Amino acid sequence: MTRLALHRCMLLQRLVEERIVALYRQGRIAGSVYTGYMQEAVAAATGLALAPGDVVAPLNREQACHYARGVTPADVFRNFLGKGDGPTRGRDGNMHFGVPARGVFPLVSMLGDLVPVTVGAALAFKRRGEPRVALTYFGDGASSVGDVHEGLNLAAVWRVPAVFVVQSNQYAYSTPTERQMANTNLSERLTGGWSIPCVRVDGTDALAVYEVARDAVERARAGEGPQALEAVTLRGHGHAGHDAAAYVANELRLRFGDPIERLEARLRLDGLEEGELAALRDDAAAEVAAGLADAEAAPDPNPATLEDGVYATPLP
Amino acid sequence: MHLSGEVAERDAPPGSMTFLGAITHALRDALREDERVFLLGEDIGHFGGAFGVTKGLWEEFGDARVVDTPIAEEGFVGAAFGAAWMGERPVVELQFADFVSCAFDQIVTVGAKTHWRSGIALPVVIRAPFGGSVRGGPFHASCPEPSFVGVPGLKVVCPGSVGDAYGLLRSAIEDDDPVLFFEHKALYRRLRGEFPGSGHRVPLGRARVVRAGAAATVVTYAAGVDLALRAADGLDVEVLDLRTVWPIDEEAVLRSVAKTSRVLVLQEAAGATGVAGHVLALVARAAFESLDAPPALVSPPATPVPFAPPLEDTYLPSPERVRRALEELLDY
Repeated sequence: MTRLALHRCMLLQRLVEERIVALYRQGRIAGSVYTGYMQEAVAAATGLALAPGDVVAPLNREQACHYARGVTPADVFRNFLGKGDGPTRGRDGNMHFGVPARGVFPLVSMLGDLVPVTVGAALAFKRRGEPRVALTYFGDGASSVGDVHEGLNLAAVWRVPAVFVVQSNQYAYSTPTERQMANTNLSERLTGGWSIPCVRVDGTDALAVYEVARDAVERARAGEGPQALEAVTLRGHGHAGHDAAAYVANELRLRFGDPIERLEARLRLDGLEEGELAALRDDAAAEVAAGLADAEAAPDPNPATLEDGVYATPLP
Repeated sequence: MHLSGEVAERDAPPGSMTFLGAITHALRDALREDERVFLLGEDIGHFGGAFGVTKGLWEEFGDARVVDTPIAEEGFVGAAFGAAWMGERPVVELQFADFVSCAFDQIVTVGAKTHWRSGIALPVVIRAPFGGSVRGGPFHASCPEPSFVGVPGLKVVCPGSVGDAYGLLRSAIEDDDPVLFFEHKALYRRLRGEFPGSGHRVPLGRARVVRAGAAATVVTYAAGVDLALRAADGLDVEVLDLRTVWPIDEEAVLRSVAKTSRVLVLQEAAGATGVAGHVLALVARAAFESLDAPPALVSPPATPVPFAPPLEDTYLPSPERVRRALEELLDY
């Protein structure tokens, strides 16, 4: 069941992002678009490792985490298209949204900010004695941001049930990891520097990421303090829709396989027939097409509502 | 630096409650009445805080409610937002308001924009001792509130009396939005008043006429209130304490100016930043025809806060300077 759920979440991310890139190139999505192409296994596996009562703060590369939490392709398309009934009601675009009812905090662009926020959510669970976990992501790029250090240090010294997923995807926009830090082994730094246990895992192997993530989540839930995993991947697209990522060497691309093909190979070994796989792909494609149709038919935001909700309690 | 006890305890009248004591009481009462409230900050636990505001609270409420943090303003302010997301009501202490610059990103990025983007309310109060006259110099005496005046999604409160210190802090903690609560250090032990009672609440966003008058209005807040009262002695001048400096109670400003036809803005933040800019623009835009004189401004020059006493005493608005400005305004 987990394998099929992984496959569904990864495939939804892949197919939705294919549509999004096409719509962006056609000028039908404004602003910018970000994908997590070739990193889908990390997002799906870590999202599925959480329990319904847990909370998560995913970033740009983790669309599959939203699907693991029950967010729909229609919700995602509505946000990219700036629709009035989307997660941010047109107030923010692309992956910059949360879904509070699904325990998903909205992404902010300032990298690292959500590490302390996640630590605070975990602190609330610890204060109340609730067996819940808060999880967030940061990349090799964000690992240079001060917030990440402050948040990891707080998590460790307070021993809160937080899980950190490090997305080592080789580049911060165009800057390769070795030009960002002297020691590029982030799991070593997490473990040795902040005393947060961190397991390094191949981020193209969905099943391996799932095992490591589930262990991390359950150790955090059991009161063993913050946990981490470092998923090693390669960002498959550029930083954003406009970036062709010509700076990525071909040799590097050859080192990283397609996580969806890898999972499908495993499903075949498990005995899944070609016809059954094709049916899974058809189901996902139909869900994506229906989601896009829903989103395209959705109303635009009403400019008269622009000033609503600046405050939870507006002053007289 | 450790300024506890240095701030003019000596010239306070006997009896009654200090401004600082009112804040301590508000924190204690909020901790007693609401399990969701907890305190976060540097040295606020067994040490009782750099100014002693949290003295006795750790003894009563323990480690889980009064949480000492490492020196990581951006980190623990962010953590407060995360806890608030989960329904808690954290109250953060910044050791000096100057250090709000370290937490600026969390405040304006996560704190200010989350409800508008997602509907998630973040009820966090960030308390911060601010202001000069303590020889704190460029990094321990500034007035950073202008950086937040005008930011949608934030509320900024600066009490100017003992009763308001209690009532505004209780209201801020019960409010569902992020509130920056700036406490003027010079008032901590100098200002005394009656304890208003634990049921006392002062609504956010409402100014108060501290002293009625007909010939001119002084719009001010925080330590400016006491300063204006002293400077206006014997003059027919109205003193309006904004109390919440963002969003500004525009109606109260316009009501008073309509009555007096003359206005002076008094603030300890430098130049025409923050409140001064907003109030002067408001008056120019909406009260121009009722004015009998150009609006006046008394505020420090546009420099960092200086350390040496002759410099700081020149920098800060004095009662004499405010008095002269008022007389000029009335004579125009």
